[in-house]
Amino acid sequence: MKKLLLSTTALLFALAIGPAFAQETIVVGTDVDAGTLDSRLTRDTTAYRVADLIYSGLVHITPQLEVVPDLAESWETPDPQTFIFKLRDGLKFSDGTPLTADDVVYTYTTLLNPDFNAPMRTLYTPIRSVEKVDDMTVKFSLDAPYAPLLSYLDLGIVPQELAEGGHDIATQPVGAGPMKLTSWNRGAEIALEANPEYWGGAPRIEKVTLKIIPDNSARAQAFEAGDLDVIQSPLSPQDISRLAGDDRFGNAIMPGLGVTYINFNTKDPLLSDPKMRQAFSMLVDQQTIVSDIYQDVDKVASSVLLPSSWAYSPDIKQPTFNIEGAVALFNELGWTDSNGDGILDKDGNKLTVTLATHSEDPNRVQTIEFLQAMFSQAGVDAKTQITDWPSFSTNYVQKSQHQIALLGWLNIVDPDRLLFSQLTTGGSTNWGGYSNPKVDELLQKGRSSLDQQERAAAYQEAAKILAEELPYFIVSYQGYQLFYDKELPTEVTATPRGYLRGLIGMEN
Amino acid sequence: MIAYLIRRLLLFIPMAMGMVVVTFGLLLIIPGDPASVLLGQEASPEAIERLRDSLGLNDPWYVRLWDYFASLLSGDLGTSIFQNQPVATIILGRLGATIELAVAALVIATVLGLAMGVVSAMRQGSIIDTITMIFAQLGVSMPVYWLSLLLMLAFAVQLGWLPAIGRGMPLPEAFWAAITGRPQALMDSLSHLLLPALALSATPAAIISRLTRTSMLEMLREDFVRTAYAKGLRRPRVIIRHVLRNALLPVLSVIGLRFGMLLGGAVLTESIFAWPGLGQLTITAISQRDLPLIQGIVLTFALIFALVNLLVDLLYAAVDPRVRLG
Repeated sequence: MKKLLLSTTALLFALAIGPAFAQETIVVGTDVDAGTLDSRLTRDTTAYRVADLIYSGLVHITPQLEVVPDLAESWETPDPQTFIFKLRDGLKFSDGTPLTADDVVYTYTTLLNPDFNAPMRTLYTPIRSVEKVDDMTVKFSLDAPYAPLLSYLDLGIVPQELAEGGHDIATQPVGAGPMKLTSWNRGAEIALEANPEYWGGAPRIEKVTLKIIPDNSARAQAFEAGDLDVIQSPLSPQDISRLAGDDRFGNAIMPGLGVTYINFNTKDPLLSDPKMRQAFSMLVDQQTIVSDIYQDVDKVASSVLLPSSWAYSPDIKQPTFNIEGAVALFNELGWTDSNGDGILDKDGNKLTVTLATHSEDPNRVQTIEFLQAMFSQAGVDAKTQITDWPSFSTNYVQKSQHQIALLGWLNIVDPDRLLFSQLTTGGSTNWGGYSNPKVDELLQKGRSSLDQQERAAAYQEAAKILAEELPYFIVSYQGYQLFYDKELPTEVTATPRGYLRGLIGMEN
Repeated sequence: MIAYLIRRLLLFIPMAMGMVVVTFGLLLIIPGDPASVLLGQEASPEAIERLRDSLGLNDPWYVRLWDYFASLLSGDLGTSIFQNQPVATIILGRLGATIELAVAALVIATVLGLAMGVVSAMRQGSIIDTITMIFAQLGVSMPVYWLSLLLMLAFAVQLGWLPAIGRGMPLPEAFWAAITGRPQALMDSLSHLLLPALALSATPAAIISRLTRTSMLEMLREDFVRTAYAKGLRRPRVIIRHVLRNALLPVLSVIGLRFGMLLGGAVLTESIFAWPGLGQLTITAISQRDLPLIQGIVLTFALIFALVNLLVDLLYAAVDPRVRLG
């Protein structure tokens, strides 16, 4: 009898704790392997997402893109060019060593060193120096006021002692984030486990595994077969509609932080007149591109400001699709079909233009082909040029060899990130050579004012000019999608950046 | 025989040098460089230029080629620009998976192909012959990409019998685990291997079956077959000893060649089934312009191809007494 009672108790106990332990691992599908897991050198989405789990930064960015304390407990700005961060008590890296102001100084100093070749270095260049005040306090001094800075200070802090001692942070990362690396099988999977040393305590989910499946459709099928618990963008539009209709899965479909846009080379003789750029922009049938090629996963864009941003204004509008209007504008500029061959011409020259994009993204290739058809309907002799990304970027767009190129920008956590380097005179990524002193002034004001309303006003004014002069024509705002198994033990919070803290039982 | 082997192995050196030069030339011609890929869209032109300098990409081509040969001679394949690890380490880490997949696919293809080929030759013109040859036609013409997704949809998504993606424990380790009392690992490895191997085996199975059939039909009409029957040998013995053995010779050389192609053909299958092999690595390396890694992979493929061909030649001699190596 006693034995029976015991075994019943054991059984009940097992039943009671069973489900709690049933799902302590989450398997996430991803498209590429991380290149490096050194938070200062990350450059692909997988690396960003894993680094966000392994490391913590001074601050954390919420799904609503608000800046909240992470390693830093608080901060103050005695003047617009100084930020002083106070670290939390008793911070530790996952290997148990303490995290101090020295590590923060080390992380940012190495990042800013040009020889370190950090991909994101440009975002931090307004920082003049990072100094330790005491073990718990760090002071950032800037060359000029730089409002977007806080949005970039979620950069993961690396341990100085390990990194300087020759430990390879890139392959065996050690951070102070909610999880730590257990194994990394290159090209196959990255395995993480909860970090009990995290200042907020170990997260609810004990293990996260990222499985690398390059093919979008195969990744969706593996998710449906139950091999994966979570998948997220990039996904094929047709897979998205199928998964969204499957009631085994929960989903989060929201605006992302990226845009797909047309880059006009304003230095090209044909395109130097803003009116020409307007006419070409009026040939872009955004609605059809978004609904037929992107299956409504992306949304029709109206300006350089994202709808999710505090700077957004629905009143700012780029030209919309209007073939007759475009042709009328071409005629006004002297381009007419004088010889009746269906192609506009001027002074004996045909209106010929080259549309270019890169081959990796089939949706962009389709968009370019569609644009070519629309252009020829309006009497423009459009040629297409499609090459792979390294050739397209290095030898073509970045050398300003293009006329009209279809591209994208990601991670636009602040309007500055889409506009400053890209559209100010001589900006480091101003491949179209655009220059307008008024825009320069407004974008400078946007980044240096610390008052959000003032910033919004500056960006809106700049966006209004840009919507007329069109160095960029924003085709669509990219969407973000996340699908998850409804059996997951935790509440799922998605963020448009695709970060995973919201899957492991943390709030975001 | 030994002298023959040594000569064949020595021949590999000029071949490898040729491969290196050709790959190097191709990489010079295709536009785009790793520095801009490494630094991403947001990097400034100055940053890209600085990285180009430090990677030695601004050196003249002959300096770079010479440097590469010099390090090759000291046994160093260089360091991957993107993974920041020795190329040799990266390739060795992937090689096992690709060979496992290719061998499994080849075994399936050979067994299926030979069986189908022999049966349809024996029953030429029958309904079995027609069905097998339809299958062979399908196998040759079906894109491996599509077949892979179809297999995954049927066996992993709909039926749920097999895992959709990934690789279990490497097979040799899994066998060892099974011997030491953990058969679970072996089952797991095999279940992961089955779908990609099947997908990959379709084309070679079809080719082998058609070749076997043709070759068998030719042999069946030979005089020595008639003689064998006339001597009073029984049909199974004639088929196995006389017909099949002779018919296998051309098939054998095709199987050898196919193995080389399987390594290349694994590229698509690997990326669909998330099989962590060389095929996937090749695509990534090329799309990133990771020059040392691409060179290393090309050399590895060349070496394997050469070794397999050598092996086929040796086998040829063993199967056909008329062939003498020397």
